[in-house]
Parts: sequence; structure tokens; C-alpha cells
Amino acid sequence: MHAESPETLDTLDDLYDAILDGRSSDVPALVQRALELGAPARVVLDAGMIDAMREVGRQFEQQECFVPEMLLAARAMQAGLGVLRPALQQSDVRAAGRVAIGAVRGDMHDIGKNLVGMMLEGAGFEVLDLGVDVAPERFVEAVRTHRPGIVALSALLTTTLPAMHATVQALAEAGVRSGVRVLVGGTPVTQEYAQEIGADGYAPDAGAAVRAAQALLGVA
Amino acid sequence: MPIDLSSSPAARSLALDAKPDADASMARIEAWFHQQIIDRAPVRFSRHNAEYEAAPPLDPARWPDRKAQWYDAGFQIERFLDSIAGRRFHGETFPLFWPNLGPNVFAGCYGAPLLFSDVTSWAEPILSDPAGPYATPLVLDWQSEHLAKLDGFTSLALEQAPGRYIVGYTDLHPGIDWLAALRGSQALCLDLYDYPEAVHAALQQGMADFLRFFDHFDDRLKAAGQPSVSWMAIPVWGRMHIPSCDFATMISPRQFDAFVLPVLAQECAAMTHNIFHMDGPGVMRHLDSILTLPNSQAIQWVQGVGHDKPIAKWIPLVRRIQAAGKSVVVDLELHELEPFLDAVRPQGIYLCLASADEQDELAILKRLAAWV
Repeated sequence: MHAESPETLDTLDDLYDAILDGRSSDVPALVQRALELGAPARVVLDAGMIDAMREVGRQFEQQECFVPEMLLAARAMQAGLGVLRPALQQSDVRAAGRVAIGAVRGDMHDIGKNLVGMMLEGAGFEVLDLGVDVAPERFVEAVRTHRPGIVALSALLTTTLPAMHATVQALAEAGVRSGVRVLVGGTPVTQEYAQEIGADGYAPDAGAAVRAAQALLGVA
Repeated sequence: MPIDLSSSPAARSLALDAKPDADASMARIEAWFHQQIIDRAPVRFSRHNAEYEAAPPLDPARWPDRKAQWYDAGFQIERFLDSIAGRRFHGETFPLFWPNLGPNVFAGCYGAPLLFSDVTSWAEPILSDPAGPYATPLVLDWQSEHLAKLDGFTSLALEQAPGRYIVGYTDLHPGIDWLAALRGSQALCLDLYDYPEAVHAALQQGMADFLRFFDHFDDRLKAAGQPSVSWMAIPVWGRMHIPSCDFATMISPRQFDAFVLPVLAQECAAMTHNIFHMDGPGVMRHLDSILTLPNSQAIQWVQGVGHDKPIAKWIPLVRRIQAAGKSVVVDLELHELEPFLDAVRPQGIYLCLASADEQDELAILKRLAAWV
């Protein structure tokens, strides 16, 4: 990391705290201040924002915070990204990876999927949200069109679990399975089920999903 | 030991051809609510959510879509009658018909569109006013097509019921689950921070409406001599309710106590018999608070799937609930029964079991008579 000035480091600390606390209204000004103080966009992203979201994920896994707090932090992160994005584009900062995410066919529940998407964005991934009730063919199309490194499948009902398996099979039948990693999660999903259907990874919650995605793509 | 049920509502009599021991079962259930046993622990021979495991095929010649099938009262009752034809109902298993338009029908009566799949339905959120999500007052539409359909179901069911089956009321989810259906769970999570007073006000509005809605169907069913019963199939002579809060799986104990517990307490206080539907480990986090609810004599524990399914994992939880003076409804597989009986005392236990056949059921009843 660059040798930042004490004032810049304090600003980055304030930014970290603001995201952790979900103070959306404070974040844009702090991002702007950090940039004005000369902090590179990459540093603002990593030290001020991604680190904060990583801590949110840890707290969520430890049940020190819950869904509302995670959403607040994600919202604050988005507020910061709105200011930071032009600087990121100028400095050619690349995403950690691209993830296509969706709730499988027949499943209309989106909050788990949305949380994972937010946490992945918070960790520097580019997220392509396919929505809910996503048929296997749409996942296949998304892989062909956008070439994500990961396809993340969400199911909240035991009755929609078979659609998860069907999606993995569809990717194989379409000849695109070898080029993408499949990550699965949701209330009825287990590690055993993930292995049974040939998924590459399983995450029990949004915080773990980030680490799983990073491990699947071999990124820090 | 004599059982003091003097505080219980006065019993009536149930005449059911397929269940001549109905009154004995009702007495057994009443005792269970008081953690007492007359001759054995109650048992229902079915699985939690078994009715969702097989959907009827959608004949396009008969129905244009799933909603039409759900709404076809004649078909739904005919299907129910087919399911009970020739059966004898042992244990605390009752031939029960309850009108079903899905768990969000109460939210649907506020104008939230209901979407129907093969085994369930869900509501599309409607609270998104740019002036503020709670700027538009929430009004229960007593002319709602869903309410009219529930009334129609009830009328048709009551006509054909005498001697054949009991009629219950629909699956009702008031409180914060109702508000989550109207607002969207994700948005409501943020509202707890962004609009806390508006959330409290909406919950109070919804609770007042719910109690009138409950009374509407309770009055009709009581006038027809029916017990009070819904999807859990545990009938009582009184006012039976199934409080729950699936939304609770997402929030902290602090927020549960602030937003959820007060309205749950109001729900429970208006009833004589409450069985709290505790759906999974996420809701279990709030057990200490749930155990404080007034008039809430029991908890239905739904342990989930996969690693969470074996009941043996939850024996400490069952004992904890019993120790708190509450009764417990537990769902288990037949092969789990004997170890469960060895691990837990019978007072306050209501078993839900799938059985292979009538001989199995009679054998289980004999076994439970020895579990004292």
C-alpha cells in the first residue's frame, strides 16, 4: 500500500467506520475527501471499503450483525462506489472477477441472492444479477454472453432444489461447464447436496459466499 | 392424577363417522395444552407440510392458470373428500378441511397481488410510494376477491361437513410477516432503521385488522358448531391461533424484542390457545423472548432439512421448552420414535409422524400408551 499521509489514513479509517456502521450519508463525502488527499482509487476501495465489507461479512457469520445491518453497510458501500467509480475506471482497476447470480427456476425469493450479490460487489466482484425464477437456459445464455468466472445459484425452497441440479446439467450439456465455477447456497442447500449435484462450491451465508468465490477464482 | 382444566373453554361434541373417538382426542389435546396427560401423549399421523409434496396436475381444459385451480372451491373440496374417502382417523388425526389460498392471503386482502405456483402462493410487495413507503394508508379491503373466495370456500365446506369432517380457517400470517409481504423483506429490513415509527404504526394497524379478520371466520365456524383449527390440524374448543414470525430469522434479538414481540403478544392475548410456529434455527435464536408470550402454551418446532432434520439433534431444545412450562409439537420419522421416547418425558409432547399404514398407527398408539 502507498505510504499515505496521516490525514489520508484517518479519512480512510473514517470511511471504513462509516460503511461498517451503515452511514450512507457520510460515505460519499469521505470518499471524495480521500481522493482529494491523493489516495489512489484502488487504496480507497481496498482499505476504506472492501475491508469494511469483509468485517461485515465476518460479523454476519458470527451473528454479531444480521441482515438489516448488512444491508445498511451494502447501501453505504454503494453510495461510496457511486463517487469512486469514475476514478476506478480511470485507474484501470479490475474487478476481482465476474459472477452471474440468480435464484433458480421456480424460486421467487430474492433477499438471500441480493445479499450475496451485495457482498460480492463489496469485495470487488462484478455482479451480473439475473433475478429470480431463472431457467437453466438463461444461466447458460448468461455464461455464453458474459463469460462470468462463477455462476452462483440460490434456492430457498426444497421444492426448487432440483432446478439447481438441472442448471448444472444444462451448463454441461451446453458445453460451457468447464469454463465456469458453480457456487450454490440457500436455506435447504448443504455441502453434501452441492457435491451431489456437481457444484464447485457451497456457502451457507453471504459472508461465506465471498470467501468461497475468492477461493474458486484464486483471488485474495 | 386428576386434571384441572377449569380454565379451559367449555367442550362441545364432535360427531365424525370416520373418527368416533373425536371427543376423546379433543380432551387429550386440551390436556396437552396444559402439559398434562390423560392416557397418552397426542399423536397426529401426518408430516409437517405433507400437503405441499404433491401438486394436482393443471388441466388446461378446466383451468386457464394455477390461480383458477386454487380458486376452484368445488375442485379443492372434491380433492379433499377423495383424500379422506374410506379412511379411519387414528390418534389425534382429524379429517380437516381448511380454505387455502397460500400463506400471504391476509396481505393479499390489502391489494397485494397474489401469484400462485403449484404448491404455494406469494404476494408481490405494494408499499413503494415515492413520498415515503408508509405514506399511503394500509386498508384491509373487506370486498377483496380473496376474502370473498375464503368465505365461499367456508360456506361450501360447511355444507358438506356434517359427520364427515371439521372445517378450519385459513393460514394467517399477521404482524411483521404481513408487513414483509406488503413491503418486501429486504426493504422492510432497512425500514427498521429508516422508518421505525412508521413500521410500529403499520404493525398496530395490521394487528387491529387481523383480530377483526380472525373474528369474522371464527364467528362463522363457531356458529356452525365447529372447533377452532387451522393448518396445524390441532383443534380446540376456544380460539386457536398459530403465531409465527419467519421474518425473525433475519433480525437481531434486539430488533425482535422492539418490533416483533409487542404485536405477537397482542395476537396471543386475543386467543385462548396459541402454538407458536418456530420455523428453523434462525427463529430459534429468539426463543427466550418467544417463551414470554402470554397465553402461548406451546411451540411447534420445525427443524428444517439436511443436517438439521434428525430430531435427535434437537432433544436439548425440546427439553428446554418443556422445562419452561410449554408444550411442544415435534415432527419426526418413524425410525426416530423409539430413541425419542427414551430421551424425552411425555408431558407436553405432541408427535407428528408419517405412518405406513393403519396397522402401524395402531401399534404406535399402543406404544405411546406405555410411555408415561
